Amino acid sequence: MSPVLRAVDDLLRAPGRVAEQARAGGDLRALFLASLAAIVLGAGVFGATLATSRGGAQVFYSGVKLPFALVATLLLVVPAFHTIASGLGRPLRFSGLIALTLAAAGRAGLVLIALSPLTWLAFDCGLSYHPGVLLATTCYCLAGISALRLVLRGIGFDARGYVIVGLFGLVLLGTGGQTAWMMRPFLGRPGAASVPFLRGKSGSFFDSIEQSTSESLGLTPGARDEPR
Amino acid sequence: MDQAFPAFSPPHELKHELKHELEQEHKQEAAPSAWPAAELPVAPESLARAPRRELLHLAAGLGFAALYGLALGARAGGLSLLRHALAASAGLSAVGVLGVPSLFVLLALADAPVSPSAMLSAGARALASAGFVLAGLAPSAALLVVSIESPSAAAFVARVGFALAGGIGLYQLVSAVRGMLRELPLALRFKSSALLLAFCLFAVLLAARVWGAMPILQGGA
Repeated sequence: MSPVLRAVDDLLRAPGRVAEQARAGGDLRALFLASLAAIVLGAGVFGATLATSRGGAQVFYSGVKLPFALVATLLLVVPAFHTIASGLGRPLRFSGLIALTLAAAGRAGLVLIALSPLTWLAFDCGLSYHPGVLLATTCYCLAGISALRLVLRGIGFDARGYVIVGLFGLVLLGTGGQTAWMMRPFLGRPGAASVPFLRGKSGSFFDSIEQSTSESLGLTPGARDEPR
Repeated sequence: MDQAFPAFSPPHELKHELKHELEQEHKQEAAPSAWPAAELPVAPESLARAPRRELLHLAAGLGFAALYGLALGARAGGLSLLRHALAASAGLSAVGVLGVPSLFVLLALADAPVSPSAMLSAGARALASAGFVLAGLAPSAALLVVSIESPSAAAFVARVGFALAGGIGLYQLVSAVRGMLRELPLALRFKSSALLLAFCLFAVLLAARVWGAMPILQGGA
């Protein structure tokens, strides 16, 4: 088995070994390649699957945009992860931390690949737009949990490790949410006449959360219904 | 020529000291992460070393904090970049200049065994760590504040960054000072801990006051 395929296998079966490898440093090329391939393939396949509800060019667009959003988010948040871990007394070499983060994202990508057939079947059976968004969110959560386990193995399964990963998760959620928001739509509306690659600038991820919270608490009337 | 400038031969003690210094520097370079934050919790006896080095750490930390300010200033651009960069560093500087000496005086009044150099070292490392964390958050902050439309949401993002970095800086300072107080009797340790808590509150209020002058935190750009 080639080193890259072995690294993919380790991402699935042996997260502890992957975390240890990232911590120890050394030759991480195979892990880097395997993780990047898993991210691009996993997010690409899942993005394309989400877009099957709309079809046409949206399938290609989402297949390209989702991996791009994921990689861009990782680039933005890795420095924050490094400084938070160092500041709270769990320093890792920067290369090791990049490897750990990439490996976690790669594992998430592999989970997304596994969930893609189920998602496709759900859309093919007529799942409508809003339940589709919920299904996609559930898939992201499942993929995120499996990634989190790998990160925790690298940082340490103790109170300090949980605090570090929790704070990193806060940064990741905000940055990833906004990056994905800027690259909407991923699902697209079946009835929409045209398929834009990117929507025009309208609000933000945080504005959306703020508005949804206000509406659900009954503070502001009316509901905005925009494709995500 | 050789006679005019004879080769310098340090006495035995000085040689030993130089060797020790070199060994320490070599150890720091060989460490997986050369950043001082990596060494927490800092041993009390190591805190009193090399104030010049600690001041360098402090200067680096303030420079790193300015990066976060630049990221926040990118929302409006132009002069705002400079204003936010200065204000981000100023918040940390204020805590260092106004807070840490006061903490030392109060701890000394309580008869806690802290030296000025140890306190300088602990303060410098804590502020450097806070600045380092701010620098790490800068790329995410730049994306968020530039792309978010709502001023209140942008201000919220900026505040979260400051709270995170400030919290980590305070954690570092408290860990280092508590390390110095480990051997104290219970009553004195309790008194010192109360002072530390009061210092933390003061530092939060002071930093918030200085950082609050930033246009982005006032709901503007």
